[in-house]
Amino acid sequence: MNTVAITNKSLVVEPKGLDKLWSLKRRLEIPLSNVRGATFDPGANSEPKGLRAPGLAIPGKWAGTFNRDGEKSFWNVSKPGDTVVIELVNEHHDRLILTVNDPRVLVDKINAAIQDS
Amino acid sequence: MGRSRGFDEREVISQCAGAFLLTGYEGTSIDDLVHATGLHRGSLYKAFGSKRGLFLATLRQLETTGSGTHNPIDLLLVALLELAPRDAEVREMAASALAHFLKQDAATTLGARLLERAQIDNNSFPNDWKPT
Repeated sequence: MNTVAITNKSLVVEPKGLDKLWSLKRRLEIPLSNVRGATFDPGANSEPKGLRAPGLAIPGKWAGTFNRDGEKSFWNVSKPGDTVVIELVNEHHDRLILTVNDPRVLVDKINAAIQDS
Repeated sequence: MGRSRGFDEREVISQCAGAFLLTGYEGTSIDDLVHATGLHRGSLYKAFGSKRGLFLATLRQLETTGSGTHNPIDLLLVALLELAPRDAEVREMAASALAHFLKQDAATTLGARLLERAQIDNNSFPNDWKPT
């Protein structure tokens, strides 16, 4: 699970609890100008993730950075169904795939914020 | 020159418009769009940024090149019903695209197409109705 907030023209992602440990990330901060959009995408969980480098992959839970087809994605997903995909540009990661509370609300919030930024 | 994406963007956008027409904006999942286009999920995200980005592309294409075999008003009905109430950019684009296709006033055009699409005859209503 992750908390995602929008503060000072940035998207701030914090893995919660032990997920900080598994994902080896305490916090990601991304300027809104580097966020291309957010999508509610429950089906993303079953996508091949690629090579883990570094992080955790056990059935039903993926946390950390994965490389596939020359793209770097940050995954922190667990519960199926509440997944949000955030596409980035000019960042270390090309894409964030996150389990969050209230995915539809978050997606609308991010997509509205990037229009205003 | 940028790197070629290796697919026909216009064709991909039309295929996605077809999916949105069939199942609506919220009802169309990324899995549906992957299936409709035959592209990888990652390629769709890389090309369009988000499902919303892809939907905006379908509206843009509607305005510039028309809608192929579909009635152009149908995609606008999806936009107006689902995204426009909460998304300023979609609202503006839908209104501007609508202006392109008007043959009578906007409300009549939309209402007539909505009834036609639902297979309801506009003349089946009593014409002596009064506001209650």
